[in-house]
Amino acid sequence: MDKYSRATIREFMNPSNIGSIDAPSGIGHIADEVDAVELTVHISAASGRIVEMKYRIAGCTALIAALSVLSKLVPGKTIDEASAIDMQVVSGLLDGLPESKWRCAGYAVQALHLAIEDYQRTTS
Amino acid sequence: MNRIVYLDHAATTPVDMAVLDEMKPYFMQQFANPMTFAHSSPGDAAHVAVEEARKRVASLIGSSAEEVAFTSGGTEADNWALKGVMERVSRERLHRNGHLVTAEFEHHAVLHSAVALQRQGYEVTYVKVGRSGIVDPDDIRRAMRPNTALVSIMHANNEIGTIQPIAEIARIAHEKGVLMHTDAVQTVAHIPVDVRALDVDFLSASAHKFNGPKGVGLLYVRDHNSLYPFMDGGGQEGGLRGSTHNVPGIVGLGKAAQLGKERLAGEFKRLTVLRNRLHEKLTARIERLAANGDMECRVPQNLNIRIDGIDNEPLLMAMNEAGIVAAGGSACNAQETLASHVLTSIGCDLKEAKSSLRLSLGYTTTDRDIDYAVDVIPGLVKFLRSMA
Repeated sequence: MDKYSRATIREFMNPSNIGSIDAPSGIGHIADEVDAVELTVHISAASGRIVEMKYRIAGCTALIAALSVLSKLVPGKTIDEASAIDMQVVSGLLDGLPESKWRCAGYAVQALHLAIEDYQRTTS
Repeated sequence: MNRIVYLDHAATTPVDMAVLDEMKPYFMQQFANPMTFAHSSPGDAAHVAVEEARKRVASLIGSSAEEVAFTSGGTEADNWALKGVMERVSRERLHRNGHLVTAEFEHHAVLHSAVALQRQGYEVTYVKVGRSGIVDPDDIRRAMRPNTALVSIMHANNEIGTIQPIAEIARIAHEKGVLMHTDAVQTVAHIPVDVRALDVDFLSASAHKFNGPKGVGLLYVRDHNSLYPFMDGGGQEGGLRGSTHNVPGIVGLGKAAQLGKERLAGEFKRLTVLRNRLHEKLTARIERLAANGDMECRVPQNLNIRIDGIDNEPLLMAMNEAGIVAAGGSACNAQETLASHVLTSIGCDLKEAKSSLRLSLGYTTTDRDIDYAVDVIPGLVKFLRSMA
């Protein structure tokens, strides 16, 4: 394992947007026994754009930091723009996330994408 | 510098000032090679220092000086005992590949040596360990085979600190004419260790676990003819281990052994009180907290707890930000994100293993350190739980 950047640790120690949304537009839930991870992402969307993202998380430092930066990044993005967000983007926002942590932090992106799919299912 | 509360003494300890002072002359003034003692006064001075260190170590573990062989540390001592014994007994007594009995929760210095032996055709049994973290001697008895050459069980586990019934296991081994090794890296200078009382044939220890320098340790060898050398070279260590003596390191080990012996009784009591206070206060302040392994049969400097619903990695990161240094598994595996093999071997599931924390105390641990830890850690647990 490489070291976390200061940006990652700062984000982890002061995470933004923890919580849930009443009547969310989409929900993404992931639970993985082996990684001892459980997370739920809520999004609200209007007119094809994401308005808000909130989450609940029991997981590692990288995943908490990734969720926090994602939750600040996606509001205002179109569904297509939000769907295009990948770990490269998240890693960049964290001043470089060690590659050994990408698999676990990747759950943040996956849960966001699941929430978007959930939203698209209910709207289509 | 910000306050650092260091609770990772099972990983390593700071060198004691008195140890460093005693080592210093052997880098520059007294630099001579001890093997030149017969014709060189400086060599003789170095030789005397090495032999004085050997006596101090012997006094700490209850052996004779001749039975102490210096190594580069605990890992080398473990490698040497396992490989040196298995090869010699197999070749000279059994005339076929021998069998090793060890336990699933051993340090990797033993486990990976055992795997290396399996690659070469030797047989190995890894006995299971229950929730108590204590090996059942009957499991050792059942694991014995006609070609068993060595039993290797650690004196105390490096992650959960549980003390093993070594004397009883040694008796079982000896009844079958089998040699007995114990990795005592976590017990020497922490609890009374006497090779005669334990009745072991080999015992590994490492200086840096008791305020000595890194890079030096020892293997107690009852019978020099019971194993092959691991490091072939010059005639050092009675021909058992080649390589020019690490004189400053050995001197440091000797001083640490002397101090360890003097301080043992007092430190045993002091650390037991501190560790128990740490355990009680954390248990009172954190819901759903449990200890891993037996709390009675345990070295005084170790506490290993699991906190339900918490991943130890972010907890350790948050603790580090607050100036508290501890460990999840062992330091040797801190880079792996896998759950501790020790905890899974005693029956913890992956989630329990990944929610576990090792807090290990040492000579430099103070009452204030423990007060700070019990004040700060519960808040960090609350912080992490509030996200879930």
